[in-house]
Amino acid sequence: MAQKAMPGTSLEGIRPTYIYKVVLLGSTSVGKSSLAYRYVKNDFKESLPTVGCSFFTQMLKLEVATVKFEIWDTAGQEKYHSVCHLYYRGAHAALLVYDIANKETLNRAKLWLRDLEKEFLPHEIVIALVGNKTDLAAKREVATEEGEEFARTKDLLFMETSAKSNHQVNDIFMAIAQELLQREQEKASAPSPHGRSTVDLGESGARTGCC
Amino acid sequence: PAALPPAPLGFTDVNLNCRNTYEVSRRRSAPEHLPHGGTAPAAPAPPQEPAERARRAGIAGAGSSFAEFFTRNFFTKRTKELKPAVQSAPGWKLFGKVPPRENLPKDSKIIQQEYEARTGRMYKPPPPSARRKNMEFEPLSTTALILEDRPANLPAKSVEEALRHRQEYDEMVAEAKKREIKEAHKRKKIMRARFKQEENIASAMVIWVNEILPNWEGMRATRRVRELWWQGLPPSVRGKVWSLAVGNELNITPELYEIFLSRAKERWKSFSETSSENDIEDAGASVADREASLELIKLDISRTFPSLYIFQKGGPYHDLLHSVLGAYTCYRPDVGYVQGMSFIAAVLILNLEEADAFIAFANLLNKPCQLAFFRVDHSMMLKYFAAFEVFFEENLPKLFLHFKSYSLTPDIYLIDWIFTLYSKSLPLDLACRVWDVFCRDGEEFLFRTGLGILRLYEDILLQMDFIHIAQFLTKLPEDITSEKLFSCIAAIQMQNSNKKWAQVFASLMKDNKEGDKNHSPALKS
Repeated sequence: MAQKAMPGTSLEGIRPTYIYKVVLLGSTSVGKSSLAYRYVKNDFKESLPTVGCSFFTQMLKLEVATVKFEIWDTAGQEKYHSVCHLYYRGAHAALLVYDIANKETLNRAKLWLRDLEKEFLPHEIVIALVGNKTDLAAKREVATEEGEEFARTKDLLFMETSAKSNHQVNDIFMAIAQELLQREQEKASAPSPHGRSTVDLGESGARTGCC
Repeated sequence: PAALPPAPLGFTDVNLNCRNTYEVSRRRSAPEHLPHGGTAPAAPAPPQEPAERARRAGIAGAGSSFAEFFTRNFFTKRTKELKPAVQSAPGWKLFGKVPPRENLPKDSKIIQQEYEARTGRMYKPPPPSARRKNMEFEPLSTTALILEDRPANLPAKSVEEALRHRQEYDEMVAEAKKREIKEAHKRKKIMRARFKQEENIASAMVIWVNEILPNWEGMRATRRVRELWWQGLPPSVRGKVWSLAVGNELNITPELYEIFLSRAKERWKSFSETSSENDIEDAGASVADREASLELIKLDISRTFPSLYIFQKGGPYHDLLHSVLGAYTCYRPDVGYVQGMSFIAAVLILNLEEADAFIAFANLLNKPCQLAFFRVDHSMMLKYFAAFEVFFEENLPKLFLHFKSYSLTPDIYLIDWIFTLYSKSLPLDLACRVWDVFCRDGEEFLFRTGLGILRLYEDILLQMDFIHIAQFLTKLPEDITSEKLFSCIAAIQMQNSNKKWAQVFASLMKDNKEGDKNHSPALKS
């Protein structure tokens, strides 16, 4: 797992800015939009069903770098599946969200993982498994250990959250940011041919043409 | 809010006065809202059947748009057969998001005036002098602000200090007065525009009811009718015209609707009885099944126009929306329920009786464009996007290049717009106006509206980067007005080197057959 302390020491002078595309995937009404809304606006409200995709931005000023998240919040319905690959193409991180009170949604998250594995090389993308709705503890269908175990075998970040009661929402995004930055460092020390430059020095560099 | 608290110390009383001027004037605006949000339903109710009145009372305290909806459209709809000429007055904001600015003047006086208008005096606005009087001499902050002497137990003010305070007080009052007059003028202007609009709609309604509807087939394509149509359909004939324009190619009868509805109810019952335990191997299929079933519909209904509070559980239209969508999934299992549909069905239910809403819904979704989208036929959707881009480049070349430079493709914003026919992205009353002309012009108008929106915000969009454009277009400003949007739509030419939408689209389809390998959405003829 990548929930480590802040990597490295602060650079003297300029702090680099990274732009990362983060995509939220998962079944309908597991709380993808609510997680994004909680993270960006620190609020909770009933969301309308997402049709297509909606977008959020959030900036994180860390000691070593500034991280700009571009959050793509996708439609969850199975029927939209055929257009969803439009959205995760070129993503730097993905949150696979399921509802701890609905076992099927974890199965669906596993299917999403298969899709991502087809599209990305193992170290091209940071993937987090997120069990949302811990506020519904009484209706829990998925044990914490079950999600944790699956995440461990697949080398995913894992966290249980509640967008409603604001439990660990910031933490999961922070963990993703740190994992991304750490990979950035590794890439810098050992440049790989696949490494996509994401450093934003005035222009938007992270954008890759899609669909 | 009349008296100010005594100043505890001499040197603070001016500050206190200031603060209180501010607070009093702030509070002043509150009473205007109160009758609207809190007690509007208790305001003079139009003479309606007791049942309607009871229902209305039952919803007291609901959000303003709900109250607005009920005072406007609900009655409009329910009474349209009874007295079409009288209830034509509601040309006002129908339902849905009302820009906050326009909410302000909605005080009890206006409710009163609307009520009077509805009960027969609508063609004759109150004499301007009377209205002016009403506006300028209601209790205001200036009359509530009082300059008091310092309490007797404290040392009296010096002459200079008292004089200075008096002067400052006068300035504050003068300033507040000026502001009030300005606000009154603004409100008056908005009201005048509203009255004007109501008159227009009232006279348009007479034409629709007496001339056009009786001779529908003969007149629908005439220039005069098309022009009147563009202005927006009066709410009372809206459902009727939509029904006629959408047609009933599928020959669905109300009886057929009942059959599918009872089938839906059976399936729903049996679904709730069986549990769903599945391992990962068939999880995909079972989730799809579950979604095709009525479960997801139930979930989405409560998320459809939540601000109206009428489709939610216990709301008056909850079961109706459930029925229409459930019957549709049984009628068209090949399409099933797709998220976004609930918004379309809801808009139809707001304007049509149950069976008619279903008939219009099924026929509307059977149009080629809607079928392509709701079946999520990706290659067909790309054709529509490509055709859209042809007209995008033609009409807004600068913005087109800007989007291109960010590789921002139309699917980012068009999917939401087209799926829900703008009912989720635009304020509801404006979406209805888009639907009006969509019924007149067909799918082409959906894409033209999209270009109109891009044109309206072109200057802002040109300053934005990818993510901000995507964010902006998937969550449009709420204060978008129909005048501005429709003038932008009107300026969009659906002509590309003498080719119209249908021809451009047809040639893109032909390209597809010839060379099936090109998957770029930007492909052009």
